[in-house]
Amino acid sequence: MTATPEYVLAGVRHEYRSGSAALAGIDLTIESGEHVVIAGANGSGKSTLLKMLDGLVFPSAGTITAFGRTLTEDALEEPAFRREFRSRVGFVFQDADVQLFCNTAFDELAFGPLQLGLAEQAVRERIASVAEQLRITPILDRAPYTLSGGEKKRVAIASVLTMQPHVLLLDEPTNALDPRSQVWLLDVLSEWKQAGNTVVIATHDLSIAAESADRMIVLSEEHGVCADGTPGDVLSQRDLLLSVNLIHEHAHRHGGAAHEHPHGHGELHTHA
Amino acid sequence: MPALAHIAEPRRTTRRRSLARRTADAVGHAVTEVLDNDEIASRPGLMQKLDARVKLATILLFAVAASFAHSLWVLLGFVALASGLAAASRLSVVSFSRKVWASAGFFALLLSLPAATAWITPGEVLVAFGPLSITKPGLYIAVRLVARVAAGAGIGLLVVWTTRWTDLLHALTALHVPDLVVATLAMTQKQIVTLLRTVENTHLARESRMLTAGSAAENRGWVTERMAFVARKSMKTADDVYDAMLARGYAGAMPSLVRLRTTTRDWAWLVASTLTCAALLGADKVVFSR
Repeated sequence: MTATPEYVLAGVRHEYRSGSAALAGIDLTIESGEHVVIAGANGSGKSTLLKMLDGLVFPSAGTITAFGRTLTEDALEEPAFRREFRSRVGFVFQDADVQLFCNTAFDELAFGPLQLGLAEQAVRERIASVAEQLRITPILDRAPYTLSGGEKKRVAIASVLTMQPHVLLLDEPTNALDPRSQVWLLDVLSEWKQAGNTVVIATHDLSIAAESADRMIVLSEEHGVCADGTPGDVLSQRDLLLSVNLIHEHAHRHGGAAHEHPHGHGELHTHA
Repeated sequence: MPALAHIAEPRRTTRRRSLARRTADAVGHAVTEVLDNDEIASRPGLMQKLDARVKLATILLFAVAASFAHSLWVLLGFVALASGLAAASRLSVVSFSRKVWASAGFFALLLSLPAATAWITPGEVLVAFGPLSITKPGLYIAVRLVARVAAGAGIGLLVVWTTRWTDLLHALTALHVPDLVVATLAMTQKQIVTLLRTVENTHLARESRMLTAGSAAENRGWVTERMAFVARKSMKTADDVYDAMLARGYAGAMPSLVRLRTTTRDWAWLVASTLTCAALLGADKVVFSR
């Protein structure tokens, strides 16, 4: 771990063109090596926050500091900083169709490292290694639009991992994945974290937080941070999760007995 | 849930399919055609074995040669040559010919029809429809234009069908077509497939909730509104794709690791194509000078 936090957000606010808030008064610090889940209902601002951490969207008010330097559009115009920042931060978009814009899966994996100016041999070695890890070697020569949803997701993640970023941002990574692929993804993220990297996931799938994160931040429907703690602490606050629309009251029957309790997305539960 | 057995079976009639169903089928067919192209390009045929750059050079060669030919027979010779190459490349000659004549040929015919009339090309009248007369020299000019377009379209279609889209893009890059143009072509292809799937699903979703076919005016209004939706979605996707490129360090260039290599077969093909074009142009000169 380094002494300097990876990100410091101070009073960050972001507004849509209509003037309505996407994020309101976010104060946040993300340390190196943390595995953070940002949870919130649809429209709470999770994706916008993730895009801010990747320097794709900038605050209307407040500041973001990344790796000790203020993150602004002007700063990213500087080639040296842009290269350094892009090599450190990788972003897996929610929609894999958006992320896959090259001719073939192989080209997708090569795109990032080539943009960073790596030598051909180094790029090929990274591609071979990541493709093997993510089990996509047989589909490397295929055009992305011919792949299934799960294959696209793997290629999208691989296309970021070949850049070997220290910070991995993932927006709703389990969307479009079948249960086996979801388990596989959690394993990949676990390996990535064990290597000392930072992982930030935006999701409304609470099972990800419960199974893999060591910190959970909850965004309210008013677009501010309303909880920040360990997944165990946050997930035990039932009233809070109900108020931010992450779980809902659900009545059903087991055998002859009817009962009510809260349910969250992807939450596994048992009944006595 | 009550059973639905009490509802009488409909009488079997040759009912016209709804607009939604027809559109969804047509769009689905278009997607399938795009996706099938890679399968056709992977067959072990003559053209499939050639380097994509050599095939692009072949298009250029044949297009230039066809534009210099004057004789209808020589132009038809170019079309026949393309059909022969299609057969040697394990393509269906019937499908190939239908595509060439029904698309390129048809539109060329529409454009060239005025030239067949006495107003544009006076001469011996072959047939008259009231004030509209088709003349012999006019018809010859029109048919020659159609044959010329069909010859160019035939060889172009042959190259597109026998080359994987990704290889074509790599070939364009190797031939120093600007990165921006190649990237735009690549994304256009992907966008077309993605948006066609959206359109197909939208039509199917509508059909699944419709009890009647709806009036023609309603259908037209709905299709127009959906077109606007797809256009908006397309623009939003373009913005998102650009963000995704920036996120992976895009700064204006699209370097690639793909290295194309030519073989003896490619050079032999190029020589044979050049000689064939020269022979056809020689024949054209002989036929036309008579």
